[in-house]
Amino acid sequence: MSESSSITFRLNGRTRTFNVPPGRRLLDLIREEAGMTGTKEGCGAGECGACTVLLDGRPVPSCLIFAVSCDGQEITTIEGLATGAVLHPIQEAMIHTGGVQCGFCTPGVVMTSVALLEHSVTDPDERKRRLAGNLCRCTGYVKIFDAIEKAEQSSGEDHV
Amino acid sequence: MSESQPPLGGSHKRLDAEAKITGQTRYVGDLSLPGMLHAAVAMSTTASARVRSIDLSAAQDMPEVEAILTAKDIPGTNLIGVIFPDQPLLVEDRIRMVGDRLALVAARTPEAAWRAAGAIRSNVEPLPGVFDPIAALDDGSPLVHGTSNLLHTYRVIRGEHEETSSEAPVIVEAEYHIGGQEHAYLEPQACLAIPERDRITVVASCQCPFYIQRAVARILALPLAAIRIEQAPTGGAFGGKEDYPSEPAACAALLAHHTGRPVRFLYHRELDLQVTTKRHAMVVRHRWGADSDGRLLFAEVDAVLDAGAYAGLSTVVAERANVSAIGPYDVPVVRVETRIALTNNLFAGAYRGFGAPQVSVAAEATMDRLARKLNIDPVEFRRRNLLTNRKAKTCTGQVLPAPVLAEACLERAVEASQLFVAGDRNPSFRKRGTGVAMCLYGINLHRGGQFLDRSSAVVILQPDGSVIVRVGLTEMGQGNLTAIQTVTAAALGIDPEQVQVWQPDTTTVADSGPTVASRGLHTSGRAVLDAIRHLRERLDPVAADLLGCDPRAVELAGNEARVADGKSSIPFPKVAEEMAARRIESISTGWYRSEPREFDEETGLGNPYSSYAIACHVAKVAVDPDLGLVRVEHVAAAHDVGRVIHRSAAEGQVEGGIVQAMGWALTEELKLDKGRLLNPGFTDYLIPTSDDVPEISVTFLEDAPGRGPFGAKGLGEPSFIPAAAAIRNAVCDALEVEIDRLPLTPPTVVLATDPEQPFLHGLP
Repeated sequence: MSESSSITFRLNGRTRTFNVPPGRRLLDLIREEAGMTGTKEGCGAGECGACTVLLDGRPVPSCLIFAVSCDGQEITTIEGLATGAVLHPIQEAMIHTGGVQCGFCTPGVVMTSVALLEHSVTDPDERKRRLAGNLCRCTGYVKIFDAIEKAEQSSGEDHV
Repeated sequence: MSESQPPLGGSHKRLDAEAKITGQTRYVGDLSLPGMLHAAVAMSTTASARVRSIDLSAAQDMPEVEAILTAKDIPGTNLIGVIFPDQPLLVEDRIRMVGDRLALVAARTPEAAWRAAGAIRSNVEPLPGVFDPIAALDDGSPLVHGTSNLLHTYRVIRGEHEETSSEAPVIVEAEYHIGGQEHAYLEPQACLAIPERDRITVVASCQCPFYIQRAVARILALPLAAIRIEQAPTGGAFGGKEDYPSEPAACAALLAHHTGRPVRFLYHRELDLQVTTKRHAMVVRHRWGADSDGRLLFAEVDAVLDAGAYAGLSTVVAERANVSAIGPYDVPVVRVETRIALTNNLFAGAYRGFGAPQVSVAAEATMDRLARKLNIDPVEFRRRNLLTNRKAKTCTGQVLPAPVLAEACLERAVEASQLFVAGDRNPSFRKRGTGVAMCLYGINLHRGGQFLDRSSAVVILQPDGSVIVRVGLTEMGQGNLTAIQTVTAAALGIDPEQVQVWQPDTTTVADSGPTVASRGLHTSGRAVLDAIRHLRERLDPVAADLLGCDPRAVELAGNEARVADGKSSIPFPKVAEEMAARRIESISTGWYRSEPREFDEETGLGNPYSSYAIACHVAKVAVDPDLGLVRVEHVAAAHDVGRVIHRSAAEGQVEGGIVQAMGWALTEELKLDKGRLLNPGFTDYLIPTSDDVPEISVTFLEDAPGRGPFGAKGLGEPSFIPAAAAIRNAVCDALEVEIDRLPLTPPTVVLATDPEQPFLHGLP
């Protein structure tokens, strides 16, 4: 068995160091070692997007990323979006439009949506294509699209 | 109560939204306890066999394993079926389905548990199996249980048949093969069992904590009162967490009871897809006749449901399919026969619509066939045959109360559809079509299940004027917490933020049956109104004292208690504070049960439901006929909802229902090989993504009040039912063919237009 490695990365703005065995998934590190359970596991195979986090600003399925590969990188999870009591504009918009139903896909959907907003993806069809890695079985996605549009309008000089 | 009572019909913030949007909602997988063990299961990989022996030795010696249990370790009765005693929790000798449980493992890590489960060896004698529901009903077919694979037959026999059947000028005959469906809730099955020696708590992702309570009590031989089931936040369900969660919960409870330690059982996705219940695959044969003016004369329907290896909920699903077989149409002569076949396929269960979507696809396809044969526009043909205020007799002869909004739903959906302008699409999608479909859906439990059709409610007024509510029906994403919050706030005249509705557990509310049949708001909302009525018997006299008026003159509105003449008022929290100061009981309970109904099982005639909802969907599609690809471009939906309680949640039900039905109609194919699912993953089992979503327009009609709180009707299933049929009809319109098979996968579509297509031979 290979030995654990020490890795350091920024998690939701704080520098953290972990000792991780080579096969440890980023998802498990976030949920178990870091104790942040907002990121969900829906399939463990990169198919559903529920475990999406931002890795250096890019949305990735954390179930397919080895934790050891994240040394020196910047990771943002659903817990890292709000500033104190102030929610991120996409969080506010999702609440307002009704984009949340069962909530299990929601953290992943929100993280991908944050990336779409940050990268200024404005074409609605392009947004739909880029969100296609995040499955939602409840909403039919309509109110999620509405939320992204609304967040774009109200968006964020002061966020992320 | 005034008609415009806030917050009814608005879209205030969902009660559970902020916790979910920040990741703070704790689903079962987010809960852990010191010393907690993890469950895994060793399962059958074949569908029909006899067990000679199970070898646990290799698994028992593996590290971190704490317990391995088989059927002989069950202290109670080894039975898990919700209606019939036909399914063991753990196999004793006979395997009937892929995924039948042979042994359970508890270990200190999930990895160790699954490793040990994988090391359990079984020696089995293969037996012949049956995998086709029609063949299963033949004499001499291998038997799944007992002496017959025919589990039950339901019928509707209405009207004199002989003349009309032979003399109808236009007759259509067809045989539809409708596929099953996986629920694909985003949160797989999950539960956590916490033992306390002779009692136990199970926290479960579920639709019916009371089913689990009974299952665990039976397996552990404990009284119901010793079993506490707490409904966890539930990450989607759609029927897939009605009956099924009793199985993992009983497994976890057995392991916890045995080890004395908490045991968590999380299904991984492949396991969830491979072994949990599915929508029933059905074969529906039709012979329908109309006169030359385009009026339906008779409808003969012969439906067979593939129940799979265990009865599960198949009888009640079939019961609903049976009476839903002809849609919202006026048909003078009806003959329906609905049979349930046991096979060695994965067992089927509850799924949004409960048998009605399958028979609706068939009914709406036949309506289009008849329209084409008569050379009448499909919308006009429906207009001529819809139930109306004067022709209000349903399939079973039940007379709907006026107003009957079938025609209004049709017209509103068609109008909305005509406003859609198709954009520029890939030119290979060169065929375009429009399809219309409708449904008439009984929005409470069928007469056969009416003993379960009730709900408990508890309301506790706090000294600061805020209110705690619990109801026996569950939140699984559909919005019941928020709907109940809205109803409570409207009834007490206070802001919704002052009302907190908590998920049920079996120690806080009485058995309220399952959260199914689109009855959540209807049933639990009425129970809450009953509890509030009781509370006001104590609250109003206190308010009257403070206001100096007669208790009968007290009104609650605008966060105040007021005298009816409007001259004096007092803040609602002051009344609550005064009640607390006087030590007046501030907790009240409520109850609701649907009205008893008359229904004849033999003839299928009578009143199976206390009320109905009607819906119409119109779909517009673009088809690439060479590749067999279908894009749904627009769906217009019109729903008879009685009263909108929470607008964005109601819209969300319709949008989500349509997209889920679109998946069933087009891409969600369960590929079974001798009872084993070949595509247990989202790479091969394709549910709709954001890129597949059509434009959707939703219209609510509020002119026909239902029996729910403030006139609300159920919506969860009507939102699903017509869409797949509308899409099927639109594809057939685009290609000018009849397709009698669902889902409309590319090979099915290509073969429909080119039966000689050489590359597709051998495919269905």
